[in-house]
Amino acid sequence: MKVRYSYLPQQFEDADDLWEELKEFVKTGDFTLGEPLKEFERKFAQLIGTKYAIGVNSGTDAIKLSLKAKGVTVGDEVITAANTFVATVGAISELGAKPVFIDCDDTFCMNTDLLEEAITDKTKAIVPVHFTGYMTDMRKLMPIAEKFNISVVEDACQSILGSLEGKNAGTWGNAGAFSLHPLKNLNVWSDGGLIVTNESDLANELYLLRNHGLVDRDTVSIMGYNSRLDTLQAVVGNWLIPQTHSIANKRIENAAHLDKHLSEIDGITIPPRPKDYKIVYHLYIVFAEERDALLEHCIKEGIEAKVHYPIPIYRQEALANLGHKEGDFPVSDAHTSKIITFPCDQHLEEEQLDHIIKTVKDFYSH
Amino acid sequence: MSSQWDEEREKLLPIIDKVFSRGNFVGGEEILDFEKKVSLICGVKYAVALNSGTDALTLALKLLDVGVGDEVITPPNSFIASTAAIAHLGAKPVFVDVLDDQNMDPTKIKSAITKNTKAIMPVHLTGRMCEMDEIMEIAKQHSIPVVEDSAQSIGSQYKNRPSGSIGEIGCFSAHPLKNLNAFGDAGFLTTDVKEIAEKAKLLSNHGLKTRDVVESFGVVSRMDTIQAVILNHHLENLESVISKRRINASIYFEILNPRFVAFSKSRTYALDTFHTFVIQVDHRDALKDFLSSQGIGTSIHYPIPIHMQPAASYLNFSEGSFPITEEQSKRILTLPVNQYISEEQISVIAKKVNYFFEEGIHG
Repeated sequence: MKVRYSYLPQQFEDADDLWEELKEFVKTGDFTLGEPLKEFERKFAQLIGTKYAIGVNSGTDAIKLSLKAKGVTVGDEVITAANTFVATVGAISELGAKPVFIDCDDTFCMNTDLLEEAITDKTKAIVPVHFTGYMTDMRKLMPIAEKFNISVVEDACQSILGSLEGKNAGTWGNAGAFSLHPLKNLNVWSDGGLIVTNESDLANELYLLRNHGLVDRDTVSIMGYNSRLDTLQAVVGNWLIPQTHSIANKRIENAAHLDKHLSEIDGITIPPRPKDYKIVYHLYIVFAEERDALLEHCIKEGIEAKVHYPIPIYRQEALANLGHKEGDFPVSDAHTSKIITFPCDQHLEEEQLDHIIKTVKDFYSH
Repeated sequence: MSSQWDEEREKLLPIIDKVFSRGNFVGGEEILDFEKKVSLICGVKYAVALNSGTDALTLALKLLDVGVGDEVITPPNSFIASTAAIAHLGAKPVFVDVLDDQNMDPTKIKSAITKNTKAIMPVHLTGRMCEMDEIMEIAKQHSIPVVEDSAQSIGSQYKNRPSGSIGEIGCFSAHPLKNLNAFGDAGFLTTDVKEIAEKAKLLSNHGLKTRDVVESFGVVSRMDTIQAVILNHHLENLESVISKRRINASIYFEILNPRFVAFSKSRTYALDTFHTFVIQVDHRDALKDFLSSQGIGTSIHYPIPIHMQPAASYLNFSEGSFPITEEQSKRILTLPVNQYISEEQISVIAKKVNYFFEEGIHG
């Protein structure tokens, strides 16, 4: 039995109505900052629970533009998690700022107990990464940020509708950055992203930054970028957005099923699942003994298991200039040899989930 | 735009359907296909598909190591993106004024060069290429690389060399309003240098060498696969789009009264593609209003020069810094020229313009 990782071919199998909408849309020629984009931004803000949502070209740009709007520039420091995807750090580096890393804990998010000692007088922003669909402990993070008067841009790219004590990812900090990349829980047909915020000044700055700094067609008030979410993609977004809650719920259900059975297997450890967290499982990751052999076994059995990520960001070539070495972030390091990601998406059948469980069970039973 | 869709939907829908049924949204063979085809058209060895023309400019300068404290020479009458690309890298835009045809004046480049000059960025505005021989000669004398802002000039030629093939790097936009257009933002860069093409590809995809190894920090600037599909289709029509625009322009040339209307005649050694058709006139605003009252929409590219924009106030230019650009900004008017306008319509517009001046409608 095959358990594939990417479900994209299935997702749009039954999308005749979307095709009709796209045909109607293309006829309007409203391709740049058009009406469907405005509609999508309204709906997304409503979904997450913020006043504003601003569509941009990618999740990476969502982080970069938010930091830029908060004044991050050359020589500043930005604190983030040592185990994130490259994009978070790429966005910080693009602005000429220095990424300062903090180790994660077993929830794959920044260990906020380590935050305060990482702050210097150059710290301009904190980018907590709600990795895999978990949440960073924002209850602890926000008071520290407020105490030192530091901006917070949540990297919520992997946690659409993830929440902590009922408060959604993206609504805790000054801004929340989301990705609509095809593999995300709410996706479009290309790169795409959104920034959510309740601050009207910040929203206005972001509207300018994403569109060449144009106040009107002829007047440029600041040096901006071209980072608009394509209106055509917003048509896809509008079609999918009503499914967002059920996508999250289905993933949570699948994860619970996997948790229940995988936890019974010696060799597998399930990460903590605190009750006040709503984890949306963009990635379903567990800890495994003999991980590499298990990975190989799963792939042989038709399961597209993966590792997110085998080399932590702080040890990548691109960051060699920061002089980090193995051991600087022991929890992130330890994770790299034992984490394994299983498919968990909303399009999986129960028998596929059971195939994962059985395959893992077989592996450890001999 | 909607005329374009009416004409193409039957052909495009099945191709788009095929791509999406595979769930192939980022990367894929359509991108490679586009890069190959467009590199042939642009007369270069490599083309790299990107998210926008703006990104192509930023990336090109970055690939030439332009950074904090460097200077880049460019004209002040372009779209803001050319200058913003320089500013975002922490470099200083150094403007030189333009010729009557709105393109960079090569004789003014030399005095703008300093020890900090890291690149020269001519802009082939309106689909008309700059005087590249002169520009390249100065660049070579000073060993400064040239980045062509070819955003408005796909398919244009200068002495049989296509736009984007003369400098180290060419930067193109495929924005919905360009001669080669996608249904959203898209762009690409062109080069003959393998290392530049490879680095561009890497940087446009998070700097990811493989799925797990980050070689250097990049950005997300991938062309959407759907846009590549549309562009591959539009490439087939590019030649006819350009030839229709050239026919429309030639009708303007023939009819517009040179006593009142100045325009840039084509040079024998160049092929202009008329992304826009711009005239320079007295009483510009009155003419614009008159044409509008006749149901003819025109626009101005661009009414406020970059050095006079609030965003550039930190560069401390004032009125009079670039007199030709400033003068033109008050006189330029863009007339409709696109491929969906018939020859009859063009001649009606040209005659209305003449009528406005000949009858002294401006008062």
